[in-house]
Amino acid sequence: MFPVKAGAKTRRRSLRQALLFPALAFFLLFSIVYTISIGSSDIPAMEVFGILKDQLFQGGRELAQGAWPVSHYQIVWNIRLPRVLFGVLCGAGLSLCGAVMQALVLNPIADPYVLGISSGASAGAAWALLMPLPFFNGQYQTTLAAMCGALLSSFTVYFMARAAGGGRLRPVSLLLSGTAVNAVMSAVTSFLIFLAKSPESIAAVYNWQMGSLASAQWATLAFPCAAVCSGLVIFTVLGSRLNLLMMGDEDAAAMGMSVKAFRTMMFFLCSVLVASLISVTGLIGFVGLVVPHIVRILSGTSNNRAVLPLSALFGGAYLIWADAIARSAFGSAELPIGIITAFVGAPFFLYLMIRKKYGGTG
Amino acid sequence: MKLKAEYQNIHVTLGGTEILKGLSVQVPEGMVTGIAGPNGCGKSTLVKTTFGICPYRQGEILVDGVPVRRMGRKKLAREVGYVGQDSGSVFDFSVYEVVEMAVPPQWDRQKRKEAVESALRELGLLPLAGRGIQTLSGGERKMVFLARALAQDVDFIILDEPTNHLDIRRQLFLLDYLKRSGKTILIVLHDLRLASHYCDFLYLVKEGKAVCRGTPMEALTEEHVMEVFGVAGRAVERPEEGRDFLLHMP
Repeated sequence: MFPVKAGAKTRRRSLRQALLFPALAFFLLFSIVYTISIGSSDIPAMEVFGILKDQLFQGGRELAQGAWPVSHYQIVWNIRLPRVLFGVLCGAGLSLCGAVMQALVLNPIADPYVLGISSGASAGAAWALLMPLPFFNGQYQTTLAAMCGALLSSFTVYFMARAAGGGRLRPVSLLLSGTAVNAVMSAVTSFLIFLAKSPESIAAVYNWQMGSLASAQWATLAFPCAAVCSGLVIFTVLGSRLNLLMMGDEDAAAMGMSVKAFRTMMFFLCSVLVASLISVTGLIGFVGLVVPHIVRILSGTSNNRAVLPLSALFGGAYLIWADAIARSAFGSAELPIGIITAFVGAPFFLYLMIRKKYGGTG
Repeated sequence: MKLKAEYQNIHVTLGGTEILKGLSVQVPEGMVTGIAGPNGCGKSTLVKTTFGICPYRQGEILVDGVPVRRMGRKKLAREVGYVGQDSGSVFDFSVYEVVEMAVPPQWDRQKRKEAVESALRELGLLPLAGRGIQTLSGGERKMVFLARALAQDVDFIILDEPTNHLDIRRQLFLLDYLKRSGKTILIVLHDLRLASHYCDFLYLVKEGKAVCRGTPMEALTEEHVMEVFGVAGRAVERPEEGRDFLLHMP
C-alpha cells in the first residue's frame, strides 16, 4: 500500500538521545565546578577543581602542602560544595517529579506542585514562622511543619479525587481537587499572614515562598540524596509504565496495567520526594514544569526512559546556575532562587518553544 | 465452532444509568464478529468491560474459557489486543515508540525491533516510524494503533470503531487486512455496508440488549434494521460482488 523503507528519523532521534546523555552529564560536572567558583569571594575554577580532586582522590595531601589557602578550601569544600550538591539534588528531584506528575495527570502543564503540595507546605511553613511552638528549634520546626503541610495536602487531594471519581483515580479529578486544595491552603497562609503582628516574620514567610538553598550543609545532605537517587532509579525503571499511562487510562488498562494502583503509588512517591525537598528549600517554582519540556525538545522524544534521567541531569545543572546567579548578581545580597528560575528559565523555554515549533506535547 | 471469547449476560451501570442489560456475545475463533447499533446503545461499553475499563456488576467474560476476572491484567494483555475509539496521547511519542510499547517486555532487543518493524511494514507505516504521533492525521494515527495491536503478538484483537477518521481506501485496506489475518476479531462498526461485507457474525444491539445475532444476512433484515436503527434497509447477497447493505431512502 505504501513505499517501504527504514525510518531515518528514528535513527536520528536515537543518536540525539545517545549523545545527549554524556553531553548533559559533562555539562553537570562542569557546572558543579564552575558554579562553586562563583560567589562573593572569587576563587578560580581551576583552583576549585584542584581542591575537589585533592579532597576526593588524594585525601587532602596538596592542601597540607599549602597548595591553596585554607580559607579557600573551607569556602569550597564546607560551604559551597554542599550547597551546590543540594542544588543538584533539588533540581533533579523537582524535574523528575515534574515529568512524573505530567504523566500522572496527562497534562503537559502540570508541575510537582499541581496537586496541592506547594500550598500545603507554604501553610505549614507560615504556621511555624508566624506562630512557632516555644519548645522546638526554629529552623527544624519550619521544615517539619512544611513537610506535614505538604503531605496533608497531598493526602487530602488523593482522597477527594478518589471520592469524586467513585473509587477511580481519574486525572481530571486529581487536577480539580489539587486546584481546590491549593486554594484552601493558600487562603490558610494568607489568613496566618493577616493575623501576624511582626513585619519580620511576614517577610520570612514571603522569603520562604521564593525558595533558597542557603540552609544546605554536609550534615543534612544524606536524606535528600537518598530520596532523589531512589526516586531517579524507581521512576526510570518504571519509565515504560509511565509511557503507557501517558497513552491514557483506557489504553494503559488494555495493555495490562493496574492504572489505579500504579497512579496511587507514583502519586505518593512524588509527594514524599517533593515534600522532603521543598520543606527544606522553600518553594522553587518553574523547574519542575519546564525542565521536562526542555528535555523533550532537546531529545526529540517523550519516552520517559530517556526523559527522566535527562531531566534529572538538566534540572540539577539548571538549578545550580540559577543559585549561582542568585548569590552573586547583587553582591552580598542574595536573591531568592525562585525569582531566577522563572526569570531566566521562562525566556529560554519560550525561545526553544518558538524555535522548535513546540506545542507543549513533544 | 470453537469460541475464543464469550460475554455472558453482562450488566453495566454507569452514573446510575443501566447501559448494558444482560448483553451476551459469542466470539468464534478465527472469525470476524461485529457489533453494530445506534449511538449510546452500549457497543463500546461492552468491549471496554473486557479490560475492566468499564466494570460490570453481573455476568462473566471468558477468554479461551477462562474468566478474565481470574486471569490478571498482564495475562489478558498477552492474549487480547485493543484498538480504542480515541487512542492517542497528549504527549508526542514517535510512531516507533508507540508500537514498541506493545511488544512483550521479556523479548530481547533484536526481537523487539523485528516485531515493531514487521507490524509497521504490514500496514505500510514504516516510513512514518520516526514521526511524532501528534503530527499524524487521525487516520494515520488509527493505523498506528492497529500496528501496535499487531506487535502485541496476540491472536484476538478487539477494535472499537476502527474505521473512524479513515478514508475509504484505508477503511477497505484495514478491514480486508483483518479479515485475511486469520486472527479472532471483535469489532464495533457503524457502517452497515462494511459490517455486512466483512463480518462473519453480526450482533445488532439496542438499549444494552442484543436484538439479533447471526450472519449479516440473518441479522440485517428489514425488520431488525427498522427495529434497531429506525430506517428501512437490508443486506443483500450479490453473486459477483458479495454481500452489501441496501438502504431504502425515503
